[in-house]
Amino acid sequence: MDSAEAYVIVGGSAAGMAAAQAIRERDPAAGITVLSEEADAPYFRPLIPYLVSGRKQAREMTLAGSGPYTGRDIQVWTEARVTAVDCKGQRVTLADGRQLGYGKVLFATGSRPFLPPEIKGTDTEGVFALRTLADARRMAKRAETTRRAVMLGGGLLNLKAAFALLERGIRVTLVVFSPEVLSQLMNPSDALLIRHALDRAGLEIRTGTAARQIVGDESGVCAVGLDNGDEIACQMVCIGKGVRPNVDFLAGSGIRIGEGIVADRFTACNQPNTFAAGDVAVTHEPVSGRPIMTALWTNAVEMGRCAGFNMAGLPTAYTGTFGILNATQVADMPFVAMGTVHTEGVDLEIHRHASAEAYRKLVFDTDGKHLVGAVLVGDITNAGIYRYLIREKRDITTVKRQIVNHQLHYGHLLPI
Amino acid sequence: MTQPKEIFVLTDRCVGCRTCTIACAVAHSTSKTLFGAVAETPRPKSRIYVEWAAPAHKVPMVCRHCEDAPCMHACISGAIRRTDDGVVITDTDKCIGCWTCVMVCPYGMIGRDLERHKAYRCDRCPDRDIPACVAACPTGALVYQTVPAYAADVRRHASGEMVKGKGS
Ligand SMILES: Cc1cc2nc3c(=O)[nH]c(=O)nc-3n(C[C@H](O)[C@H](O)[C@H](O)COP(=O)(O)OP(=O)(O)OC[C@H]3O[C@@H](n4cnc5c(N)ncnc54)[C@H](O)[C@@H]3O)c2cc1C
Repeated sequence: MDSAEAYVIVGGSAAGMAAAQAIRERDPAAGITVLSEEADAPYFRPLIPYLVSGRKQAREMTLAGSGPYTGRDIQVWTEARVTAVDCKGQRVTLADGRQLGYGKVLFATGSRPFLPPEIKGTDTEGVFALRTLADARRMAKRAETTRRAVMLGGGLLNLKAAFALLERGIRVTLVVFSPEVLSQLMNPSDALLIRHALDRAGLEIRTGTAARQIVGDESGVCAVGLDNGDEIACQMVCIGKGVRPNVDFLAGSGIRIGEGIVADRFTACNQPNTFAAGDVAVTHEPVSGRPIMTALWTNAVEMGRCAGFNMAGLPTAYTGTFGILNATQVADMPFVAMGTVHTEGVDLEIHRHASAEAYRKLVFDTDGKHLVGAVLVGDITNAGIYRYLIREKRDITTVKRQIVNHQLHYGHLLPI
Repeated sequence: MTQPKEIFVLTDRCVGCRTCTIACAVAHSTSKTLFGAVAETPRPKSRIYVEWAAPAHKVPMVCRHCEDAPCMHACISGAIRRTDDGVVITDTDKCIGCWTCVMVCPYGMIGRDLERHKAYRCDRCPDRDIPACVAACPTGALVYQTVPAYAADVRRHASGEMVKGKGS
C-alpha cells in the first residue's frame, strides 16, 4: 500500500477503532493501520472492572467483531508506541525505531490516570489507578491477598473499582476529599439516594478528607495516612483522581496543544492531514460552545467516527458533547447525569423531586424555555429524550409540564 | 437477499387498544401463549408502547432501528449490533445493564428489565414472518412493509422527525 494513501491511527481504543470502522464503511479497500501502545488488542475499556471482580474474562471484552466493529482488514499493531510525529514528512516514529508513512493520521491516544504529586508513595506495589486491562490483571492478582482496600477519590471510576473489590469479599473504604461522592457529576444533595445505596452495599465512605501518604513494607502497601492523622491499614490502594491527555509524543511536531489536542469542528488539527478524537482532544460543549475535555467512551466513539468520515473525504461536522453524560448503576441505584448539573449559586430554573426510591433534578435556563441539564436517580426512563432536547436546544415550552413531572414521551414531540 | 421490511406507524388509525403490547409481550414470553405469559415471572415485557398525547392522540411507538443507531455506537460493552436484515439487536449476554443506550435513545424505546438487569428492545420478531404487534393490530395502525426503492429516504425521514441535524 502506498503510504501517501494509507490511514494511520495512533491509539486503538474507542476513538481510534470507531474511526477505523467509519473509514472502512466509506472505503472498502483503503489501508488502515492502528498503532496501540498496549499489549492487548483493542477491548471495551469500561468492562475492565469485571476482570477484577472475576465476572468476565479478558476475551469477552474484545472489541473487534463486537457491536458495530465489524470492518475487515483493519491492521492493528500492538506494543507499538509512537514517540514522534513528522508532519512535514507525513510519518510517525515508533519506540523501536520503525517508521510509518501516512496519507492521513488520527491522534486518538486517550488519557492516563492522574496521580496527585502531593500523595507520597504512589509507586508502592499494590497501588493502582485502573485504566488498562494490564492494570486490571495486576489488580485481580493483588486482590487474592487483599483483605482491605482503600480507594482515593469518589468518582464513578473508583466506585466501579470499589464494587469489583466488594464483590470479591474485600473490605473497601472510599476516601473522598469532597463533601460527597460523585461530586463531578452532581451536587451533594442530588447524590443522597446513591449514597444510601452505597452504604447499604457495605462500602465505607469517609468524606472531607484526603490521603497524605501511602505506607509500604516488603509486601507492598500496608497503610494509607490521611490528612486528619488517621491511618488505615490495607493491602491495596486505588487512585481515581481524574485523567490527563496523552500528548507527550507530539512534542516538537507542530501540532497545537491546549488542554489537549486542539481540533476544529471537522476534527482536524492545525497541520495538514492530521486529526484528533476522543479523550485526548479538546472538544466543545454544544449548549455554550465552550471548549471542554471529556473522559467518556460514548463521546470518544462519536468523535472518532466523525473523524473517520472526515479523513475518508466525507466532511462531517462534530456537534460536540456534554462534559457530563453519564449513565450507570451503582449498587442497586441506576442514574443518569447530563449537561449542566452543578447548580449551586447559578442563576437557573431548577425543578427537584424526591421520593424514597427516586430523585430527579431538571435544570432549565433562566428564561425557562430550554432544558440544559438533568440528574435522574432511581428512575431513568426516557433519559435519551431529555438528552435530545438539551442537545438540540429545543424550545420546550409546550412540553415543560411533562418534563417536570417526568412523564415526557416521544409522542409529545410529534407534530400531530 | 430479501428486501428489508420495517414497521410503520399510522398514528391516525390507532385507537389505543394496546392489543399490540399484549401480543409483543406474549411473543417474547417463554410459553408464547397469553395464559402462560401472564403467569410467568419475570413478567414478559412488551417492546412496543402506546402512549397518549393531548388532545386525544394515541401514539404507538417502537424502536426505529435507526440508520446510524446512537445506541449501537454508544454501547460500552459491544452488546448492540445490526443484523444482516438491518435490525438493531441487543445481545443479552453481553449487556451489563449500564443503561448508556437508555441515555442516548432519542425516542425512549429501550426498556430496562430490572429483574435480569438487562436492556431490551424490539427485535422485529426474527422467528415470525410478520412481527407479533403488526399481526395483532385490529385497525391497521401498524404496517410491516417491504421497503421499496425509496427505503433510505423513508427511514431517514422517519428518524429525522426527531433527530434533526444529528451531526452525521
Ligand atoms: C474502568 C473504567 C470504566 C469506564 N466507564 C465508562 C462508562 O461507563 N462510560 C463512559 O462513557 N466512559 C467510561 N470510561 C471512560 C472511557 O473508557 C474513556 O473515555 C475512553 O476509553 C476514551 O477512549 P479513547 O479512544 O479516547 O482513549 P483510550 O481509551 O484512553 O485509549 C487510548 C489508546 O491509545 C494508546 N496510546 C496512548 N499513547 C500512545 C502512543 N504514544 N502510541 C501508541 N498508542 C498510544 C493507549 O495505549 C490506548 O490503547 C471508563 C474508563 C475506565 C478506565
